[in-house]
Amino acid sequence: MVCLSQRSQAKFRMILAILILIAVELVHPTVSCKNETCSQLLRHSLRLTRLMSKRTTELLETYKTSQDFADLICDMQMDNVPVSTVSGQTISQRILSVYTHLKEFLPHMKTVMEQQKDLNPPTNPVAEGLNRMITHVRHIAVRVNCILEILQPNIPIPEPAESPTGIPHAQNIFQQKAYGCIVLTRLQELLSQAVQEQKSLKKGKMCRKSTKNGS
Amino acid sequence: MGSSHHLLVFLMFLHYAVGFTYNCVKILPDSSSSIVVEVGKNFTATCHLLEGCAYTSDDIEWRLGNLSIAKQSYHRINETAVSVTINISSDMSDWLKCTAPKESLSYKPRSIYGILLRAGYPPLKPKNLSCIAVQEDKDISPNLNCSWDPGSRNPQIDTTYTVYANVPGTVLTHKADCKHLARFCVVNLETFPIHMVLKVWVEVKNALGSERSELQSDSSYFVKPNPPLNVQVLTEDKFPTSLMVTWKHPIDRTILKLSYAIRYRKATSDVWIEVRVPESFTRGYIESFRLQSLEPYTQYVVQMRCIGESNSSYWSNWSPSVTERTTEAKPASAPDLWRIIRPTSNSRNVTFIWKAPVKANGKIRFYNLSINQNNEKFESHNIIADNLSQMYSMELPAGKMASIEITAYNSAGESPKATLSIPRSDKELPGVEDMSWSVRDEKLQVKWTAVLPLPHPLKLSEYLLEWVKIPQSVHQKELPAGWQRVPKNVTVTTLNAGLEKFKRYNISVYPIYKYQSGHVWHFQPGRPVTRPAYVQQGPPKEGPTVTVTKSKKNSAELTWEEIPLDSQQGFIIHYTIFYAIGNTKQWKSETVGPNVHSYVLTDLASETDYVVYVMASTEAGSVKGTDCTFKTMKYGDGEVEVIVVVVCLSFLFLTVFIIMICLRKREVIKKLLWPQVPDPSDSSIAHWSPDFPIKADLPKEDVSVVEVDVFDGKSLCEEDKGVLPLKKDKYLSEEHSSGIGGSSCMSSPRHSVSDSDEGDSGQTTSSTVQYSTVLGSGYKGQTPSHQPPAFARSESTQPLLDCEEHPDHLNESQSRSSYFRRGRELEPGVLAPECDGGSLTFCPVQEEEASPIAEEPPASALCYMPQKSGYRPQ
Repeated sequence: MVCLSQRSQAKFRMILAILILIAVELVHPTVSCKNETCSQLLRHSLRLTRLMSKRTTELLETYKTSQDFADLICDMQMDNVPVSTVSGQTISQRILSVYTHLKEFLPHMKTVMEQQKDLNPPTNPVAEGLNRMITHVRHIAVRVNCILEILQPNIPIPEPAESPTGIPHAQNIFQQKAYGCIVLTRLQELLSQAVQEQKSLKKGKMCRKSTKNGS
Repeated sequence: MGSSHHLLVFLMFLHYAVGFTYNCVKILPDSSSSIVVEVGKNFTATCHLLEGCAYTSDDIEWRLGNLSIAKQSYHRINETAVSVTINISSDMSDWLKCTAPKESLSYKPRSIYGILLRAGYPPLKPKNLSCIAVQEDKDISPNLNCSWDPGSRNPQIDTTYTVYANVPGTVLTHKADCKHLARFCVVNLETFPIHMVLKVWVEVKNALGSERSELQSDSSYFVKPNPPLNVQVLTEDKFPTSLMVTWKHPIDRTILKLSYAIRYRKATSDVWIEVRVPESFTRGYIESFRLQSLEPYTQYVVQMRCIGESNSSYWSNWSPSVTERTTEAKPASAPDLWRIIRPTSNSRNVTFIWKAPVKANGKIRFYNLSINQNNEKFESHNIIADNLSQMYSMELPAGKMASIEITAYNSAGESPKATLSIPRSDKELPGVEDMSWSVRDEKLQVKWTAVLPLPHPLKLSEYLLEWVKIPQSVHQKELPAGWQRVPKNVTVTTLNAGLEKFKRYNISVYPIYKYQSGHVWHFQPGRPVTRPAYVQQGPPKEGPTVTVTKSKKNSAELTWEEIPLDSQQGFIIHYTIFYAIGNTKQWKSETVGPNVHSYVLTDLASETDYVVYVMASTEAGSVKGTDCTFKTMKYGDGEVEVIVVVVCLSFLFLTVFIIMICLRKREVIKKLLWPQVPDPSDSSIAHWSPDFPIKADLPKEDVSVVEVDVFDGKSLCEEDKGVLPLKKDKYLSEEHSSGIGGSSCMSSPRHSVSDSDEGDSGQTTSSTVQYSTVLGSGYKGQTPSHQPPAFARSESTQPLLDCEEHPDHLNESQSRSSYFRRGRELEPGVLAPECDGGSLTFCPVQEEEASPIAEEPPASALCYMPQKSGYRPQ
């Protein structure tokens, strides 16, 4: 009887481990990466990044038009807004930098969207565009995460927390508008660099290499 | 004491009241709502008797609704519990009750407990899940329209469908609750996940279970783009067989890169030809494509649609149709040339008719018609191409052959030539041996026997079927005939002509022979075989009008005109003659053939009114003509003539018979008619003038009566008024018996007697009248010139003449007078001198000479007719 109970406990532990593994796999965001081939992933990621870069440019134009802003204000320095510069020596580091920056921009975009909703309710094309943009940027982040998994499968990808922007709430309207424009401008720059990085990935035959490695 | 008694009674009442509602049974499983049970499965419920219950398990009874459940389904568990197992069917949604019945005359309370069962099915797995996000403006709609097939089985219980959508890798899952038994639902994704993997699933749940269907694919798979924008079709002058199609991308390539398909059809056709624009063509994301291998001068309808590259999305709808015509090319085929030959008295009238080339490749502007007679160029014409003048007529002598060439021209060039030869009348080539036709699917199917091979160089080229409407239309716009060519190996075909119903057509089959002369092929038709035909027959439009040409005693000849061809509407198979007497409506009928147009009705009643009409029949029906009424004769042919002849002959025989009798019995008749008259000469008168010797030998019998017309205005009697002393001349008498001309002084002896009878009733033939003769004494002092008057008395019994008795009558006798005499015995020479020179004469009229009795010379004017042998003038 004792033996049987021990066997049962061992089985239970095994099943429990498998279930936990399955659960982890299910909730892990990178699980979607396995549904696509590398080339599909890279192609879709590049197209999406290119689309968002274009959309951001359009949105920025719309923003500037609606806010009656000069380009000069959008280029001014603001410390709490993430920089658009992609850093890193290797391609993996640079893609990771893209991924990190995308994550960093998300709370700022939300803030700008809320500010825009407050400023020009309710039919504000900028707020609506920003809302869609947030979703797409989040999707780009998922794609880039998958690319990182391919690029460095053994290295865990650090997940930057979507922390508060650090921007004080007591901004006046001008400051809010300037802040929004700076965020969109830097996001557009980031996305442009992200396109370039992914293009270089495509040129670098990342998928062929990974396929060989994989095989 | 009293109050405690009341309290006891109240408690007892309360006890019984509570006892009536007290329930000491309970069913497990139990539920505050209904218990859902699956159809087809067994369901077991247990009824428990609670503590203190006076019943035993034997008292428990199960009921479903109002029906008791058979005891065989019970299972007694112990003294206080009985279970029941029932197989659930779809109609078992009802109360399952456990009862412990109250015995009659028992104080035990009745117990009952029930649970509500709801029978149903677990949900079926949704099939064919599909979700579509349509294009909205320049983006993809976030609304994902999902649909599925829920299956045909109704679960009978509340079943919910929920659609979920999630982008793998993200935590946000969108959800949409759908209606009961929904087949489609819309889930709002807020932002469509472009270039992401999208996972969509539909979950169906009810109390008996749940099912799920899932889709996971690239998000473009769910996209349905708009059709291509601004689709245009362009023509190019130098490319008559191609059309350039241009368009605009409906969506940005960064969202969805598209591949395109073009479909086109001729405007006159319903068959589409689809062309998939190769993706290699669109790699540069061009927006134009050239359709090639089209037909020149043909109108095409073009549409476009698009799909995600590599079929990564749904197809868009087709774009609106764009119609364009390719440019003209020179005609690729020859005109279809044919001829109609009508023989005239000493020539042939040939009409050439033609159809535009089948592959005209443009609008035919004109035709060039070139005619050769006996291999010499005869004439050439350019004929403008319009519907009115696609024919040309000429006279061709019977002894000449002709060859015709025709070429069609459009703006791009000329067509190949069509040629046709017409031989001399005596050089016709043989035709097919036989042909027949039938109707199939409301079309004429013509069948013929193939022609026998002809000697070299003649070869059979094809057959030509010609149809001509009879009677021919007078409309100038219509070609006088239609024709259709069929290959030479075909001997049965269907006429592809819009032949009118109820119209007669002459269908002809011509073999077309060909022979090569030089490098040119000549085509010559053979002799035709022609049959009349209808594509559909109908009853005649009108019936024949019948007329009665001869009506006899027992027969009548009817005649009717043939119904005009336009009104026949079919082949007349027979005529039926209906006839009846007057209004009796007892019709008799006679049926005659279609070629009969007159008929003799026999066995008719004489002198009877008849009504007759003729009904014409085709295979499709009959139509009666107008009524005609006639009357048969009373007598037959020759009957009247026979009667007349018989009557005439009878009269003739009778006359002859009477004459014969008269001849035989003439003596008797004579005696009857002319009784013996006493001859005055034989009288016994005492003296007789010596100047007038009596000839006793004169025959007494020969007395004749002579009527003489007096042309002279003065009658004898008138003359006598002034001259003659004696008017009562017994030789003169009026002719009363004749009734004509009033009185007459002369009469036949018989009449005289009769007149005497009438004039003097007192005198009869039997009475004796004394006759006297006045002799030469003159009258009223006048002296006769040469004869002495004498008077002699006679003892004759002969009655007096009328003139004697009625002198008045003498005045009346102006027109006619007669005298009677003893003709042959008279001496002509005696009286003649007396008639000369006298004013008063009793002269015979000139007719006397013509008269058979006018032998006597005219009497003297001064005397009466002397009567030497009878009466004498006095």
